[in-house]
Amino acid sequence: MTTYTSEEDFVPTSDDRSIVLGDTLRDLAVVTLISVPLQLIATDLTVLQVLAGLAALYVVCILGLLLTKYLPFYLPSVAWISLVGIVLTLPFMPWAEWFTGLVVGIDFLAMAVPALAYAGLAISKLELDVMRRSGWKILIVAILVFIGTYVGSAAIADLTLRFTT
Amino acid sequence: MDIVRTLVRLWPIHLVVLVVSIVSQLIGVRPIPIGIGTILLLPLLFAFVFTLVLNPHVVPAVGRFLSAKRTAAAGPLIVIAIMPFIAKFGTTIGPGIEEIVRSGPALVLQELGNLGTILIAFPVAIWVFRMGRESIGAVHSIAREPNIAIIADRYGLRSPEGTGVMGVYVMGTLFGTFIFAILASVLATAEVFSVEALAMACGVGSGSMMAACSGALAAAAPESTDTITALAGASNLLTYATGMYVSLFVALPIVERIYLRVRPNDPANPPARTAEEAAK
Repeated sequence: MTTYTSEEDFVPTSDDRSIVLGDTLRDLAVVTLISVPLQLIATDLTVLQVLAGLAALYVVCILGLLLTKYLPFYLPSVAWISLVGIVLTLPFMPWAEWFTGLVVGIDFLAMAVPALAYAGLAISKLELDVMRRSGWKILIVAILVFIGTYVGSAAIADLTLRFTT
Repeated sequence: MDIVRTLVRLWPIHLVVLVVSIVSQLIGVRPIPIGIGTILLLPLLFAFVFTLVLNPHVVPAVGRFLSAKRTAAAGPLIVIAIMPFIAKFGTTIGPGIEEIVRSGPALVLQELGNLGTILIAFPVAIWVFRMGRESIGAVHSIAREPNIAIIADRYGLRSPEGTGVMGVYVMGTLFGTFIFAILASVLATAEVFSVEALAMACGVGSGSMMAACSGALAAAAPESTDTITALAGASNLLTYATGMYVSLFVALPIVERIYLRVRPNDPANPPARTAEEAAK
């Protein structure tokens, strides 16, 4: 359990290689189980289909975590998990049709709900202090930063798509 | 048996998340029409607001039921909870690989759009709010974890630059999902850019912001959900690979140089650079 005592302690970067696999797989299983009722609400899938789909995603996460931990070059665990998901569903892979069939009905928006619920609980005193101290000016700057990124990226993508397709 | 013991200790957190998530999912997507488009309130936004209210740091009375010590354990769980979500995204990229390859140039070039942070945020920080060197930390990127690492490494987190990046980081944690959900839903319903372009722009290197962004897009254009998730996921993956280098080698040198040009006499400037600038 982490309690931040100074700003130096609060470097929200995680070295994914130091993850304890047993604990992570347990928490991952809990989070996956929480998703079961959410998927039943969000989709028309049967309980069995939901369990199969979530189990498949669980396996993708495990493979991604193993790659993060044991491969000699480093990428964040989420990047590896993403790559495993891609490779398993590439059309020319022999198992692609079967695997895609398992996960295709899973609602992606419902998958994000528990993560944000944990995020709301995890807001610490330190973060509230930073917000109070930095004040509304930094809030406005932050909003402009996000608008700048989003509109900038969308504009370039839109232009490029117009020329290339 | 340590594994089981931690689980027993954490059950109140998981229970709260379970209940809150179910309630949020039942509420579903709620549209709010505004003049130029529609703001879409998503289940994930509801979940965040509900647990924020159940957070003992935000509402002290909650501390009697849910101790602050317990909620501290929720931090590492965010990353774990986002993993299956990212896995689902990966599985939408594989089947859409042809489309991804076809949009390759746009996908790669839009990464440069992240420099748009500097374009509109930097002038406001410097000339409107008269901020000092914290503006460098604040506007060089969207301030997610890798960017904080860069600033911590170069200036230290107690420096003005560190204050700036932490400020935007915290604001992003608190309001990022809302801002992206609003931006995406308004732009999608206003039909200024193509939905493909908006999807690519969603991949900013933060799982929850991408979720809010692509979720809002998918809710606005349900027939394109597969395309949206595939392009947003691919773009997000690309950002994991390139984002850190773009902010380290392109964005940071740019803001650093502009700042020294605009405020050559700031005593907080690095000593060697100020002398060098003064000599010019």
